[in-house]
Amino acid sequence: MNVKTNHPEQCQKALSGLKNVYDPEIDLNVVDLGLIYEILFSDEPKKVNCLMTLSTQFCPMGESIVDSVKYSLESNFPESEVEVTLTFDPPWTADCISEEGRAHLNS
Amino acid sequence: MFGVTGTSPAKTTSYKVVLPFYFYAALSLLVASFFLFTSDRAFLHHYFHPHLLAITHLMALGWGTMVILGASHQLVPVLIEGKLYSEKLAHASFILAAVGIPLLVYGFYFFDMGHPAKWGGRLVLLSILAYLINVGVSIGQSKKINVQAVYVATSVGWLFITGTFGLMLVYNFTFPFLGYDSIHFLPLHVHAGVVGWFLLLVLGVASRLIPMFLISKYQNDRLLWVIYFLVNGGLLLYIALFYFAPNKILSAIPIGMIFAAIVLFIKLCYAIYKKRIRRQVDDQMKVSLLSVAMILAPILLLLAVVVYVAYNGYGGAHITLGYGFLIFFGWLTAIILGMTFKTLPFIVWNKVYHKRSFSGQTPNPKDMFDALIFKIMSVAYLSGFVVFFVGILTKWLPLIQLGALLLIASAVLYNWNVIKVLIHKAKQK
Repeated sequence: MNVKTNHPEQCQKALSGLKNVYDPEIDLNVVDLGLIYEILFSDEPKKVNCLMTLSTQFCPMGESIVDSVKYSLESNFPESEVEVTLTFDPPWTADCISEEGRAHLNS
Repeated sequence: MFGVTGTSPAKTTSYKVVLPFYFYAALSLLVASFFLFTSDRAFLHHYFHPHLLAITHLMALGWGTMVILGASHQLVPVLIEGKLYSEKLAHASFILAAVGIPLLVYGFYFFDMGHPAKWGGRLVLLSILAYLINVGVSIGQSKKINVQAVYVATSVGWLFITGTFGLMLVYNFTFPFLGYDSIHFLPLHVHAGVVGWFLLLVLGVASRLIPMFLISKYQNDRLLWVIYFLVNGGLLLYIALFYFAPNKILSAIPIGMIFAAIVLFIKLCYAIYKKRIRRQVDDQMKVSLLSVAMILAPILLLLAVVVYVAYNGYGGAHITLGYGFLIFFGWLTAIILGMTFKTLPFIVWNKVYHKRSFSGQTPNPKDMFDALIFKIMSVAYLSGFVVFFVGILTKWLPLIQLGALLLIASAVLYNWNVIKVLIHKAKQK
């Protein structure tokens, strides 16, 4: 799990919240699934920018997962404006799944 | 405050389009299973029996085709990586088929090839046409054409050919214009539908879904193309031989090509399975993987029939009946029983929890149906299928009746779980 950030402490807070957001089809949270690429924080104005992907662009659960990521970040950083950017470059592959994620899938 | 920028998540096909197909299919399976019991004695005679034609069309159209149409309206965008062209056409496709199928089944059951069967056939064909246009334009508008999209497009083309030919056979009963009676052409109609529509579509969709559900890194498009050409080549050769060189021995060649395609597909599935990241395989996937192996059963039986006929000069009608039963109540039903609960709960979950998934209070889609009922259904289905099949081959009525009762039980339990998922509501806090 290599999430790019400019604020490791705040990023940890964001990621611990995002670990409650699940892709119901795979039954794994979006962090261990490797869907979160980058979380950047700025102070003036207070803003959280999250760059993420989906396992496939036409994932039937896509809208729901993106909404859940937005709401999770908003509830963890209520004073900040939250922006989620969706990208498919690079595309998600099974190699993006973290070791913890693989262990969960095999449990 | 928040927003989403970059690429937007694709809008999925509305549940309002998809769910009616699932409900209709579940009811069709139940009615067809009851017909197995009420028409038990028909299975002791020739396969060209009004009740057997009615059951076959109820299974092929009401059960198999309806559930596949429903699921594919949701899955085609995933397969072709593009949007479904029109939800209105999808609704039209459902309504036309939902009215046409009972008319057609009524026509066969009472062998009334007049208005009921003709109108039934026309409406079903219009439904297929609506689906063909919808899938064709969706694929045409898609940015990428992958091997699975070609499988889907070709299979829908075969469905249209099957439907058109089927309607011609219905007309041929009252206005003979084909040169022979309709029973002569029945094998063409059946195999265009079973191989061209069901087999090709299931192989194409499964080649995408099985790695998705197992989270496997294995991909082999080249092998998928080889399988594609073997299936289509085998079917075209079968039709050519039927018209130009009807010969039981030669017919082993197209059967062998399709057999080879299925063996290669099983090899592909095995490679996907071996390279999977998700080690635990749930019951729904087990039933679906079992059905992949079950494709071999009717093909092996067909090869046995060819060899039997070659040596004896005639074939047993009960073996042909067993062949049809293996296809519709065996392979096709097994794959749908498994895949229903890998797709339907997610569609309903999206409908119920889409706006509240962030709350952390949502159930897992797999918990929306009763796992114990699913297990009992699977046992009832497998035992009922085996008992009924042995009953057909041995022509022993008590086995046919027992098998039918077990299949009714499995259809009731399937409907129970489908309705449980369909009426699922979020718990109020």
